Amino acid sequence: MSAIIETRDLRKSFGAVEVLRGISLSVAQGTVVSLIGASGSGKSTFLRCLNYLEQPTSGAIIIDGDVLEATPASNARQDRKTITRIRTKLGMVFQQFNLWPHMTVLQNVTEALTQVKRTPAKEAAEIARHFLQKVNLIAKQDAYPSRLSGGQQQRVAIARALAMQPKVMLFDEATSSLDPELTGEVLQVMRDLAQDGMTMLVVTHEMGFARDASDRVLFLHEGRIEEDGTAAQVFGAPNSERCQRFIASSLK
Amino acid sequence: MFTYLASTFDPGLLWEYRETLLQGLQQNLIIFFQSAVLAVLLAFVVGNARASRSRPVRWMAICYSEFFRNTPEYVLLVWIYFVVPLIISKMIGSRAGFSPHVAAVLGLGVAYSGFLSETVRAGLRSVPLGHAEAATALGLSPFATFRRIVLPQAIRRMLPEATNQMISLFKSTTIVSLISVHDILYQVSVISSSEMRPIPLYTGVALLYCLIIILATYLLNRLTDRWRRRGWA
Repeated sequence: MSAIIETRDLRKSFGAVEVLRGISLSVAQGTVVSLIGASGSGKSTFLRCLNYLEQPTSGAIIIDGDVLEATPASNARQDRKTITRIRTKLGMVFQQFNLWPHMTVLQNVTEALTQVKRTPAKEAAEIARHFLQKVNLIAKQDAYPSRLSGGQQQRVAIARALAMQPKVMLFDEATSSLDPELTGEVLQVMRDLAQDGMTMLVVTHEMGFARDASDRVLFLHEGRIEEDGTAAQVFGAPNSERCQRFIASSLK
Repeated sequence: MFTYLASTFDPGLLWEYRETLLQGLQQNLIIFFQSAVLAVLLAFVVGNARASRSRPVRWMAICYSEFFRNTPEYVLLVWIYFVVPLIISKMIGSRAGFSPHVAAVLGLGVAYSGFLSETVRAGLRSVPLGHAEAATALGLSPFATFRRIVLPQAIRRMLPEATNQMISLFKSTTIVSLISVHDILYQVSVISSSEMRPIPLYTGVALLYCLIIILATYLLNRLTDRWRRRGWA
């Protein structure tokens, strides 16, 4: 199987602090990868480097054939076209949902279609409705986000990302700011997506999801991949002691 | 006593000079709109500069807004009308100057851009960074993100404060008579010196201004109420 995402020795520093210390990874199409690790281990930063919300300090990103080399001298401006192309291939879901409160649910989903892909309004609305149907929120299409529960908002955010028909979905702690009784509905949407064969990178503290729904689990520690294997391997018999301890403490 | 009070506000005199007074008011309105546009444009430039990543740009913006916020409008107006032409004349070596109207618009525009730039900055900062990040992640350009996501939200947050500033800008337009713009107060002083009855005229102008501002505030509040009813802003 061909890799849809590849990174080579990806590094990121904030000032003197090196948050990512060389991450080389290759993810095959259709794989669901969970990234676990303590806070500060660099998992969120890694996701945010993939779509250049953070500019990597060095290393390379290859997404669906588009190559971006980050050198110390590289200027994000020069690569803007590639960056935009990569961003449309990666859908991202945030911890804080980040729906736009001045737009209705439908407008939230059509916005990038009309602004980035230049899809005609009518067609965009149809696409948007299709994906709202998918997350079971078609009834709320004319509501404003403030009228929705957190779980509903996050499902809209997922529909908004899906509407761009990305090759990969990135989930950055998508359930961390939800009340426990609301995480289920979001996790279910994510499981459905995985079933449909979507390639997913999921930064999560939901060990249940990581164990049951992912094909591959990465344990990050201090900006490096410390453990990489199938869910059964990483949860059953991790090589790294740190990973063992982390899993033991989070499954408690 | 009573008759004296009644004669202090004699609408007859206002009615008699209605055309001249309205012409004056028209000047105030024109200057208000022009300086409001100038102030808003400058405020956005300066407000954005205050959020800039570059330290010198930030400092220049701070100096700008502090200077114009803390200088009386009247002093600014006189300075622009009398001093700036002198400087320009010295520099280019020939006589130069503004019409009172241009000086008035420049003076008030610049003065209020100082206040407004603070409002703009606060409004822009009130939009959560994540909203822009979500747009960026979907591929929206920085400009589209600003125009479609940040600005509409920021404007709604700025509006109550900006309304207050627009009200005081409108009130301030009456000081332009001091650099001989033929505004409503200028007309009043001309008329009252020939009629020798200043009281009804000044009272009338005061009431007129009050009425216009109450009306405008009411209309603006209705607009923001509608936004609030839609569940946000």
